[in-house]
This record gives sequence, structure tokens and C-alpha cells, in this order.
Amino acid sequence: MSPEERVEQRIGSTLPNVTLASVVAPQTTWSLYDHAAKGRGALIVFWSSVCSHCARYDEYLNRFSQKHPELAFAAIASRQNETPDEIRKALDTRKLTFITLYDTGMAVARELFTQQTPRAFLVDAESRLLYRGAIDNFKYPEDNEYEAYLEPAIEQMLAGKPIARPEVPSFGCAIQSVYYTIPRPLKNLPKV
Amino acid sequence: MANRFSTTIRESTDLIETGLRLLDGAFRQMRHALQPRDQRTHVHTDAMGPRNVDGAVSELSNRVTRLSTMTAVEDVPNMWREVLEDARACFTEIERPAGGTQFGADIALSSGSLAVQQTLRGLVSHHTSPEGAFGTFVINVLEVFDDAHIYATLQYREVLARYAQRLERNPGDSAARIELARTLIKCGLYHDAIRELEVALPDPRVRPEVLHELAVASFRAGRYTNAAQFASDSMAITGSKRTQLVLWLASEKLGGYAPDVPAGQRMQVRSGKQPTSLRLDDIAARVGLDKTSGGRGTAVFDFDGDGYLDVLVAAAHGGCTLYKNNGDGTFSDASISSGMDTCLTAFITVVGDYDNDGHPDIFVTRNGFFSGACSLYHNNGDGTFTDVTAGCGITDWGPAFTASWIDYDCDGRLDLYVAYNLGSLYERKTRNRLFHNNGDGTFTDVTDLAGLVTEWPTIGHTWGDYDNDGRPDLFVSNSLGRSQLFHNNGDGTFTEVGREAGVDSYGLGSICYFIDYDNDGWLDIVQNVWSDSEDVIHTLQNGEGPPDGQAVRVWRNNRDGTFSLRSRELGITGCWGSMSGNAGDINNDGYQDIILGNGSPRMERVEPLTLLQSDGRRFHDVTFTAGLPITGKSHGVNLADLFGDGRMTLIVASGGAYPGDLLTVGAFCPKERLGNYLNVRLVGTKSNRSAIGARIKLDAGGRQQHRLVSGGSQFGCLPYEQHFGLGVETTTIDAIEIWWPSGLRQRIAGPIAANNTIRIVEGDDRLEDVYPNKTRALPSGRQLEHA
Repeated sequence: MSPEERVEQRIGSTLPNVTLASVVAPQTTWSLYDHAAKGRGALIVFWSSVCSHCARYDEYLNRFSQKHPELAFAAIASRQNETPDEIRKALDTRKLTFITLYDTGMAVARELFTQQTPRAFLVDAESRLLYRGAIDNFKYPEDNEYEAYLEPAIEQMLAGKPIARPEVPSFGCAIQSVYYTIPRPLKNLPKV
Repeated sequence: MANRFSTTIRESTDLIETGLRLLDGAFRQMRHALQPRDQRTHVHTDAMGPRNVDGAVSELSNRVTRLSTMTAVEDVPNMWREVLEDARACFTEIERPAGGTQFGADIALSSGSLAVQQTLRGLVSHHTSPEGAFGTFVINVLEVFDDAHIYATLQYREVLARYAQRLERNPGDSAARIELARTLIKCGLYHDAIRELEVALPDPRVRPEVLHELAVASFRAGRYTNAAQFASDSMAITGSKRTQLVLWLASEKLGGYAPDVPAGQRMQVRSGKQPTSLRLDDIAARVGLDKTSGGRGTAVFDFDGDGYLDVLVAAAHGGCTLYKNNGDGTFSDASISSGMDTCLTAFITVVGDYDNDGHPDIFVTRNGFFSGACSLYHNNGDGTFTDVTAGCGITDWGPAFTASWIDYDCDGRLDLYVAYNLGSLYERKTRNRLFHNNGDGTFTDVTDLAGLVTEWPTIGHTWGDYDNDGRPDLFVSNSLGRSQLFHNNGDGTFTEVGREAGVDSYGLGSICYFIDYDNDGWLDIVQNVWSDSEDVIHTLQNGEGPPDGQAVRVWRNNRDGTFSLRSRELGITGCWGSMSGNAGDINNDGYQDIILGNGSPRMERVEPLTLLQSDGRRFHDVTFTAGLPITGKSHGVNLADLFGDGRMTLIVASGGAYPGDLLTVGAFCPKERLGNYLNVRLVGTKSNRSAIGARIKLDAGGRQQHRLVSGGSQFGCLPYEQHFGLGVETTTIDAIEIWWPSGLRQRIAGPIAANNTIRIVEGDDRLEDVYPNKTRALPSGRQLEHA
């Protein structure tokens, strides 16, 4: 792609549709346009089973659909070389029940200019982008400077108000690395 | 007995080194004679696995070490199956000679050679470690080299699995539980770590260690009261300095020590508290420079030719961030529009206009602690960059650390130097390389032709004409080795003169740079040195390092081809884990100050930046007085007048090696300008367009000041713009003299008005105002008092 073609989606613009297969049930696909239109919108979060920053949101993401039934929600696993088997194992071990989609070859991450996990995209029923970025500025639980970003955006969206802070930088683990001689730390790993 | 042995080794280090090097040479000669001619070229490990015997032997050594550290003592006898499996994997891809005997001999000689190189590095470590601290140092180095890359590339799941398996077999294996907890802390999963540690706490054999880790995990989790209590309990048993630091950090968060903390556990911090009128303000979030997390190298340059200095930050996780200076005191994210967001997981960035088209280009290394491919980005002149690495001739498959642009042969085109550290615990040194610019967008490796032999692992290097003969010379700051100085012979070759110049001492050399700190017209050398935790804590407590500690080295140029170590006379006695550093006059008094970016991968280690302010005679540590926070892990320290108002902003990219240790970029700007200034930008015509290597002499107020235009290599690639502080009374400059790399000496007579940013083109005495319509843009809400 030439540099001039690479234009990041603007806040307020309609996102390209995301249609990906589920990790748990690969025969079923999830479409952003369809799911956003069913309710008041949708949340997609770029996520990885090996990202320790994502792990901090296990509980939040597990309860998201219960907390916001009017919003569709799916996590997108784009991390380089992360296999569906590894993801399924992590979902099982961590008892994660949210819909997880497999982004083969990081195509959707590239299309949405996403390099780190977790990174959230909140859209309305017409799949217009309302919020993009970090879930919050979580560093540790009792941080005096803690600030939620996504939840206030959702509240404002549901209240029909403009989003006060529609974009916040992401903070987390790389989706793609370019190191090339890194051996896996060990072979013959134990089955866990 | 052990002490006598240690002393004997220290006293005989030179002799032992000579012997080991001769042995290494013999191994190499024998291997060279054994190898068929077509296999003599050096082939590096690539993604498929080691392709030659050297790579395979190193990789197997690394794997066995890693396996050993994760295996319970009672399971060691059963390791052989995995070792065999690893050996098979390491040797699968290599090209074997026809004869089995020759293959066996090759492996034996390669192993011997690697063992000798490791012994040499151990010798240096022993020589530079404080008395009695060698063991701790080795353990720390093992940990950093053994596992940092596992976390940087998010491959820690296997580590967690291995410890979980050990615990499944034996839930009472407290050693495994502590390691599992440490792994979780490195991942940022502090609560999980605390849970594991609490299980191990009742085991009296590991109680102090568990309490220490509980303190670290609790501190990281924001549970400061718990952290202080755990640290205090641990200290009551061990008295560990590292635990004392955690206790202090946690107590600081709580507003001071709790009343019941015993006096012996309290730490009085004396460093960084010398007086200064400088007050710094963190403006990163306000001006929009705080986006990048896990920042590494930085570069300040005008990428789009609008005159304003932009900021590039490499990130450990994700692409580079390019902050466009809007000229109104704010920055916009131009990463995607410029294409630099596709420059992933870069390490150090250096900027130079290699094709002299007026648009500065970018070279990035990937990681000097494990290998990654370097990349060259061409500036298209329209706000975008194109990766032109393929076919440009820069083949560098190795653990590149620093790089720099320099026109070493003064042909008007920027050449490139790349320095290599070690990419793993057991590894042969990848020689540093000099790439000559062919003038057609390609480069040729001329290292051998130039005679630049580098055998120690390198972190820093710097170019500067120390003998004023008009040609740039090279100082190489080696980690685990001797420093090297290469004199430029002027015919494309270099002669190593480190020993004769007196700068070849052992050390854990880090980033270095040429500056003329005493303004005598002769370039001096500042060499950062990395110190271990105990010396850093000693410095925090005492305001100076221990007597046998390794402080930043300032080598004064004796003007006769030799240098003298002057750190102590200059008041520089602190020992820090200095990774990054730069010099600049941040308080505009006419003397260059030094800023150090400090840190270490360990999660328990949190260090301040260090600001050493010069008064022309001595340097004073004013870190905390000036208002710098304890940043933690500092990379890419940079200094630049971002707003064109004479105030030097200190930019620092931060973040440790582990995913649990990500930090954002900091930018610290003086609240008010403390003196007059002049910023000078040079444009080469016969010289390289970036004017890298040029020297500027400024006469003002009865004093002379000297600056060198650097081509990077300091982790924070400084802007080409040279900033001169003039003090409060000097308002005009009497003359500016420029020593261009082409050989031209250009003198521009004054008076020249201060408090401006000017551009000078080579051979043209006109002064161009860089900001003709300057409105003195400031970060919002700030007023300039001396404008």
C-alpha cells in the first residue's frame, strides 16, 4: 500500500465491515455491520491471549455483554503467530466467554491501523466510529490517577450525547514484532 | 582464600586477557584452516535457525542454560532428553562438511572459542564489579540476557507452563513458586503473583525472598502500605539494600515512612538535591507528546521542512510514533500519514540526509539485546517515508544496538556505522560495521578495508575529530570490554590508538558522545557506564557512588592525542545504570549540562533520570531540585528547543524490557528561560547537507563555546540545531566560526543578535532567520518571562 492510500478512519466515519470467523466455532462468522445494527451499536477490542495487559480486563470483558446488552461485543485476536488452538486453550483456562474472532494474517488489525492490544473501537448502530483507543489508563488498582475512557464514552453514547474524548492512545503489547532470530524459549513444553 | 584468588585475578587481568586472546586467535586459525574455502564467510543465524557451527554452538549453550534455570535440581539428571532434542534442533539447518571428523573438530574448536570469549567477558565483569559483588552481577546478567527477549516477544506462556508443571508435581517447590511469581510480575499480573507468593510465605527457607517479591508485587500493584510492610519484614531478616529501596519507594508514595519503621531500615536520599534555579515542568501530556508506551530511541528533526522540530519515538511494542510540531506549542500524531507507524519494534533511530536531497532520512536498529533487522527509511519530501532497506547494501543480521551517520571520508556523503552488542547470553561478537555511501542509494561494507576491528560487545560509539586534523575519529564504548579509539588516517583507514590515548580501560561501557565540555576547542569524551543496583542505591543514599564504583567517565582531551579521566575532579561521582545520555545547555548559562537516562530491566529497580548541571568548573546533581521525577526506566534522552523560544525541553522515552513495565514519554521544559541564547542550524553544500561532523565556535561575552553536529548514536538522536546558552547579560554574539567537514573554515563576524534561531549555508555568510514570523509559540498556559 502506498503512503497516500493509508488514511486512518476518522472519528464519525463508518468503519469498514469486519467479518471474521469465531475462534471457538470456526464455522460461524461475526459481522460488525449486522451485529451493530441489531442493537445500539457494537464494541470490538483487539485482544491477544498472550497479552498481559489484556489479561487485566478478563473480568470486565467477560461481563461486558451483561452490563451493556444493547451493544454487541467481540474480541479480535490478531497477534502474530498466535494460533486458534492457543487462543482456545487460553479462553478455556481463563474461563473467558466473550466472542473471540480470529484475524488471519493481521488483516483487520492492519485495516484499522492497530498495533497494540488491547485497543477498543466503539461504533453506533450504523457502524460509525464513536470512540477509539484504550479502555482506561489502568496501571494498578488503587491508582489515584486512574481514569476510565471507554465506559464514559459508552455512557455518553447511550445518553445520546457527543463523546467528550473520542480518541485515546492505546497502551499495551505489540500485535506484530519484527525480531527474527528469537528462538522459542524451550521445546517439548509441558501440556497444561 | 576466595579473596586471595579474586585479588590475584584482578592484579593479573592484563596478562590473563592477553593469554585468552591468543588462545581465541589460535582457535580461529585452526577453524579457518579446517573450513572449506566456500564456507569461510561469516553467516549469521536467521529465522530458520543457526546455519553454521558457531551459531549452533551458541544457540545450544543458550538453550541449555535456559533449561537449567527452569529445571528443579532433582530433575537435572533427566534433562538429557531435552538437551538432545535441543541439540538436534540447533544443528539441523547448518551446512555440514563431508567428513564427520572434521565436523567434530569444528564443533570442538567453536566451543573452545566461545568458552574463551565468555571467559574474557567474565574477566571484565570481575574486574569492574565492586569487591564481593561479582556473584550478584553475574546472576543479574544471566537473568537479563536469558529472559528479556522472551518477554519482549510475549513468549512467556511457556515459562509459566514450566513452573506450573513443576508445582503440579511438587506443590511444596517454593523455588518454582517464586520464579512463577517473578514471571507474573514481569507480565504485569501482580495480583496473581501475590497469590502465589502468599502460598510460599510459610516456607521458612525462602521467607526473606518471598517477602521481598511480595513487596515488589505490592508496590507495582499500588498497595503501598502492604509493600512497605513486606519490605520492612524482609529487611528485618536480610538487611538487603534492594529491599530497602522498595521500602523507600513505597513509603514515599504514602507520604513518608510509617512511625514503626526502624531507623536502620530508613533510607535518606542525598543525591540530586544540589541547588539550582532551574525548574522543570512535565509538559508531555499538555503538548501531545505522551502517546508512545515502551519508548526506546528518540530523534528530533524537521521531517517535513516547515522549520519546526518534530519528534520521532521508537517503541518496544508497536510502530514508531512521529510527532509533528504544529508550531503553536502542540504536536500532532503523523505516524500513519508518514508511514513510520509501519516501522515496528524499533530500538534506536538516527537521522541523516544520506542522499543530500534536503529531506532527512531515518535509520533504525532493532534490538541490541536480541537480534532484529535494521531498516533504512527514505524521506520522500512530501511528509512520507519509504522503507528502502532491500537492495541498499546494508545487511546487518545481528544484535545491532547503536548506529550513526558520519561522512568519515569527507566526500560529502553520509556513511553509516552500526555497532553490535550481544543478542544472547552465549554469542560471538558480531563485528561493528562501517558502510560507505556509494552515492547512488546503496552502501558498501568497508569495515575490513578500514581496519575497524571490534571484538568486544558494543553499546555506544561516537564520532569526533579529537586531534583537530579535520577528519572524524571513532570512539567505541564496549560493554564487558575495553573501550577503543580509532584514529582516522585520512585514506579510508583507521588505526586503533585506545591504549596510547589512555581510554582503553575496562568497563560496562554504555552510550558515549564527544563534547567540548570545557570549551577549549578540543573534543572531550563522555562515556556512560552501567552500574548494578547496590551502587545505584549507594549513590541515592550518599550523593556519590562507592569508592570502587563506576561513575560516568569524562575523558578530558589533553590536546596531544591523549585523554585524562576527570570525572571525580568535575564532581561526577554517582553510579547509575546509565543507558542513555546527552549534553546540552538546559539553563542557558553557557556551559553544557549532562542528562543521564538510567535503568535496568529488573522490575524491582526504579531509578531517577540524572541531571548534572555544569557551572563551568564542576557538575552538580540537581535532579530532584529541578523537579525531575523518578521516571523508572529511561531510554532515548534528548534535548531540543522544541518551541523556538530558547528553552531546551528534555524528552525521555521510557519503559522497561518487560510488558509489566511499560511507561509513556516524558517531556520536561524549563518553566522560564534562565538566559539568552542562539540556535544555529547549518546546511552543507560541499559537505554533507546535514552538516554532520561540523564544528561551531561561538564568540560572545568574552567567552568561546564549541559545539559538534552529531549524527546520532546516543539513543536520543539530537537535532542538528546547535543551542548556545549566553547567560543573562550577553545579548549579542561577536562571531561565529564553522569548521565544515569539507575542510572549509567559515568565519561570520558580528554583532549577531541573541535570542534567535538562524540558518547558515556553507560558504554563504548570510544569516537566515528560521522562524521569520515567530510568535514565540509556547505550550498553552505558559508565558515567557525573558522574551
